[in-house]
Amino acid sequence: MVNPIYILTLSLAAGFLLTLIDKSGRKLSLTVFYGILSLNVFIIGEWFYRLTFLNTPTVIINTAGFSAPLSINLQLGMQEAFVLLFANLTALLSAVYLFKKFKETHISGLILYLIMIVGVNGLVMTRDLFNMFVFSEILSISTYALITLTETKKSLSAGFKYMIAGGIASTFFLLGVTFIYYFTGNLNLDFIHLGNFSNLGFISIFLLAIAVFIELKPFPANGWALDVYEAVDSGIVSVIAVVNSAAIFFVFYKIMPILPQNFLNVFGIAGVITFFFSNLMGLKQKNAKRLLGYSSIGQIGLLVASLIFTMHLPRSLMYLIVGGFFFNHLIAKAGLFWITGIVKKENLKDWNVLKNNKPLLVLFGILLFALAGFPPFAGFWAKWEFVKMLVHGKMFFVVGTILLGSLFEVIFLFRWFTLSIKGDEKTEHKNISLELSKMFPTTIFAGITILISVLIMKFFYDFNWLHALPVLAVLIINVIDFLPSKIKGILSLAAVLTYGYLIYPLESNIQLFFGIIFIIGSAINIIGTLNRKGKSEGFYGLLLMMIFSFGNLLVAITYLEFFLSWEFMTISSFLLILRGKKAQKASMLYLIFSTAGAYLMMVGFSLAPDLVSNSVLILSISNVSLPIAATILLSIGFMIKSGSLGVHIWLPEAHAEAESDVSPFISAILLKAGVFGLLMVGISYIKHTPSFDIFYWIGWIGVLTAIVGAFLASFQEDAKRLLAYSSMSQVGYIVASIAILSHLGWLSAMYLSFNHMMFKSALFIAIAGVYYRTHTRTMYEMGGLIKKMPLSFISVLIMIIAVSGVPPLSGFGAKWLIYSSFIEKGWYLQAGVLFFASGVSFLYLYRIIHTIFLGQLKYEHQNVKEAPIWFIIPQYIFIIGIMAISMFPNLIIQPLNSIAMRYFNSSIIIDGYTISSSLGYWNGNLVMYVTMGVFVVPLIFLMLFNGRMQKVKQFNIVYAAERPESPQTTHVAHNMYAHYRKALGGWGKPRIWDFWHEVSEWSHSLADSIRQLYTGNGQTYILHIIMYVIVIYFISGV
Amino acid sequence: MNIWIKILYAVISVLVVTIYGLTLGGIVRKIYARVHGRYGPSVWQPFLDIIKTHGKRVSISHGYMFYLGPIFRLAGGLGTYLFIPVIFGSVVFSNFSIAGDLLLVMYFIFFGQLGMALGAGEGGHPYSPLGIARGLSQMTAFEVPFSLAVIAIAIQYNTFNLTTIVAAQQGSILNWTLFTNPLAVVAAMISLLGMNMHPPFSIVLAPQEIPIGPPIEMNSSFLATLQTNRGLFTAAKLILFMNLFFGGATNLPIMIIKTFLIYMFSVFVGASFPRFRPEQSMRFFLKWPTLIGVASIIFIAYF
Repeated sequence: MVNPIYILTLSLAAGFLLTLIDKSGRKLSLTVFYGILSLNVFIIGEWFYRLTFLNTPTVIINTAGFSAPLSINLQLGMQEAFVLLFANLTALLSAVYLFKKFKETHISGLILYLIMIVGVNGLVMTRDLFNMFVFSEILSISTYALITLTETKKSLSAGFKYMIAGGIASTFFLLGVTFIYYFTGNLNLDFIHLGNFSNLGFISIFLLAIAVFIELKPFPANGWALDVYEAVDSGIVSVIAVVNSAAIFFVFYKIMPILPQNFLNVFGIAGVITFFFSNLMGLKQKNAKRLLGYSSIGQIGLLVASLIFTMHLPRSLMYLIVGGFFFNHLIAKAGLFWITGIVKKENLKDWNVLKNNKPLLVLFGILLFALAGFPPFAGFWAKWEFVKMLVHGKMFFVVGTILLGSLFEVIFLFRWFTLSIKGDEKTEHKNISLELSKMFPTTIFAGITILISVLIMKFFYDFNWLHALPVLAVLIINVIDFLPSKIKGILSLAAVLTYGYLIYPLESNIQLFFGIIFIIGSAINIIGTLNRKGKSEGFYGLLLMMIFSFGNLLVAITYLEFFLSWEFMTISSFLLILRGKKAQKASMLYLIFSTAGAYLMMVGFSLAPDLVSNSVLILSISNVSLPIAATILLSIGFMIKSGSLGVHIWLPEAHAEAESDVSPFISAILLKAGVFGLLMVGISYIKHTPSFDIFYWIGWIGVLTAIVGAFLASFQEDAKRLLAYSSMSQVGYIVASIAILSHLGWLSAMYLSFNHMMFKSALFIAIAGVYYRTHTRTMYEMGGLIKKMPLSFISVLIMIIAVSGVPPLSGFGAKWLIYSSFIEKGWYLQAGVLFFASGVSFLYLYRIIHTIFLGQLKYEHQNVKEAPIWFIIPQYIFIIGIMAISMFPNLIIQPLNSIAMRYFNSSIIIDGYTISSSLGYWNGNLVMYVTMGVFVVPLIFLMLFNGRMQKVKQFNIVYAAERPESPQTTHVAHNMYAHYRKALGGWGKPRIWDFWHEVSEWSHSLADSIRQLYTGNGQTYILHIIMYVIVIYFISGV
Repeated sequence: MNIWIKILYAVISVLVVTIYGLTLGGIVRKIYARVHGRYGPSVWQPFLDIIKTHGKRVSISHGYMFYLGPIFRLAGGLGTYLFIPVIFGSVVFSNFSIAGDLLLVMYFIFFGQLGMALGAGEGGHPYSPLGIARGLSQMTAFEVPFSLAVIAIAIQYNTFNLTTIVAAQQGSILNWTLFTNPLAVVAAMISLLGMNMHPPFSIVLAPQEIPIGPPIEMNSSFLATLQTNRGLFTAAKLILFMNLFFGGATNLPIMIIKTFLIYMFSVFVGASFPRFRPEQSMRFFLKWPTLIGVASIIFIAYF
């Protein structure tokens, strides 16, 4: 057990001796330097272990042989040890990172570095206010000097601004210390109490507090820090942003007990404001390091706010929240700063060099996801608990600001991420040199991020291992990524089926039903991916992650488990979409909307009362009465995922730009997760009817989604966009049917969900096959493919009949159920809109089949072959499914009837094959036979009497007095419904798209105008600080 | 009932109505001719046309979907007709209405249209998809007032069951939907103009612009099949309207008189008005008839 004071003395001594040692060569001085840094880590590590796990009591070190307050005392408790360990470890790794620089630079660099660490360690441990001032000066002076080690004009001026700002803060600090001594006669934190102060005395505390707070870079008095982040070398800046910030943050924590509550509230709000505005301004940022700077400043603001608002919580929860933010932010930030030093690209657009560098890309991805607060990283849990706590405290404004700020952060971080992966090809690709000294610390920190996630999941929450499965899947597939794609595909198929078997003994039929959609549907769709050539690195890991997350939604017991799976689903689907060739914008749009939805859900779940039983959420939610606000927020969250009108603009982009064998998953299955969620909300809602009938409005949104989606689909030229809008429209029907909240309504919703899963999977796979052969998705570039791809044509034919609702196929069942349920409920006008939507759907259905398969074959497609067998198999499996439930509707109606009966009294009578509702009846089986009869009779007739028939070639048509010139001029496909567009007039304008575009423009403009605050002029920055102090002074009401 | 007897009845029913429908078509051609100042063909001309086209020496097919197109069309007509109970109380003319209600009939109408559109599409002639695009668009538009009227009826009679709807209108002429729910009838009758595709809604066949549109490539037996369907399908639609709005029919003569009169509405308008452009047609249906349809629902549901 080494006395902790050695971490101060050793560094200090070494610092002074290094000049001497350096005379005998840099090797020796470097050895000493790294030795000391490692020793610090070791000493403090041992203490941390003792204090945390062996329950060693907190150590108080009295200096100069006297006890406090006569002498200065240092304290090392668990909290100090935690911060110190972290700071020293980061310092060591940063030093490793800077190895090359330290080898070449003047010896003063090493000395300054050690001195700075002394400052940090002293700041954390000391309990004496004046001593704190001394250490903070040591820290500041060494930092200024270190900043100027990067010898550019920019960094010199940044260092100077930093010095001025630090000087002002120090002045306030010193004034505060002086007055505190005047009022209390004491400077030791252990002996100063709030009670000691008179009214006037509060000014002294204010001065002290504001000095520390300024050092924490509150908005807008933080321009000086941003300039430093941007200008200084990555190794140094990670120390400044992380180690220094950690120390100052801890100082703030130490003085908190002597601050009155109204100060704290003001600082808390100021932290939230900082978080919000930093992230807002980050939106406009194109420089990688400055962007991280904005993020850093914002995160520190959040950290301060979380500390202040969680003080009253139980310790373990507070540690999770504050510790989570602390760790997450600082580790991720250090790692990302290091990566900026490795990549050496300032402009975000140039970061696409990362594309060809998998190890670095993985590290970058891990740290970025961690920073953005996605699961399983610490920030996610912290955010979840923090939001929950704030919501319970009814601090809705704070919650809203924080979540909006977080959304901005996600936007700019992931714009960076997606640009790195999918940025323009134009820029030069120079390989990045991966120096060991730089990769090592980054890898360690990425490792620590993961380790902490594991610890939290295992020890704090004790999750069922199933919930770690999505992440494990990614890791395992990553290990076997060298295998060919087909083998991984088959393994994945087996894994999905095994997973299905594992969760199979489900508690209820509703889970089973969605299990079939999620798991069996996915399994069949995986067959389509077997057509992949090469290795498809990373693909199957993400795919499995998504499928397992679907499944985990079904077996989630708590809100958190559900939300966790939801987030895993979002992440994996985002990354899958991002794999598409031109998917940068599409995936961003998807992520932005999904994240916004997730935040709404987070608040919604926080508002929800505790669950009373231990069953799965979909069952236990029925015993919970969700407040109206929670119902609304959750519904919006789920409706975003299902692409409802108003929040649908991500949907066509994501579906169209994803790889063609991924789109079926997104459309046919992912959207159903939203449906599942909405049903869940409905289950709670029907048992406890609140005063305001929110589902009435959801119903309207659903039917409007159906009609608008259908029209939009009809006006597309891109086959996948057409199908995407068709999905939007179909899910609109489902949402509206759920909103009916009746037996027949839910029966229709589930029936349609199942049907939609099958036909939309098959359609997307069919288009995947066509795309694979023709390399185009633009429909008017195709035509006449029926001759070349007859199997795909038949599949599309059957599926569009199933979509359209034309008897005898299963689509009619859906229409029959839906209209019956709407009329039964009394939603007449809504039913009218649905009739309209159903008519309009014929437009796009005809368009997709005609322009691709019928009409004139293009010359360049003369030699096109049928789609590969891997695309054909799943389509025909789905055809069998469609035919089965068309012929024998009872196969599906009966189980769905029993599921819906759990919630409502049955409103249908099943007698043989006849299904009767209160309004009408339908015998699917007889309809099928009659249809077959009326079809076969004319067919036989024609075959008997039309024996003289001859087949003719492509252009042999009755063309009045002219010869068809080329397929292009003869094939009617482009802008097929121009007349309808004309008829719609102003109704055809993309108003919602325009709206969101304006929102984006306005936020960016706002960000840009606020950014003007930072002029880069040191004097302006001083003015900011002074004014900030004055404003806070008045607000605090001292 | 024995299924074979049922089928026998259905065959009789289909034959009777097909003959009636074709004759009706002949009469209408005659009327149009007289309006145009011509003498016109004989009323049996549709039958002669079918025989003639069947007897053509050359028959051309563009592929299997093209081949199936007319079959889909006729199957659509047959199916639509067979799911409607034609004569109230008649066993022979009850058809297969036990298979489903009004919704089934409404959606089965699309069966033939969709199949025909696909078959015509494979023909590769640009006029086919042009006509189809117009036809589908116009269909989405006139379906709106029609479906609103149907909803109003469903509210009024609280059922989609056609037989029940007809039963409810028996007893007195004042029980007809025409008098109990006049707004719905107005909306539906306007959309009938679109369904029958007489001017001003003849944009689909539009002889002068896209000569006869979708079936342009259809020839010989294919065309004959379509011509047969034209008679049957027209009659089926008229019977549906008769059942929904005009008290149905208790015997064959009544059915013939009523459907003839209903059809005359289309013919009268058709003979008097010029053709709309496609977008005019769609706008027309989506404005006043739709509002009348909405009014009929509001009227019946809340007053």
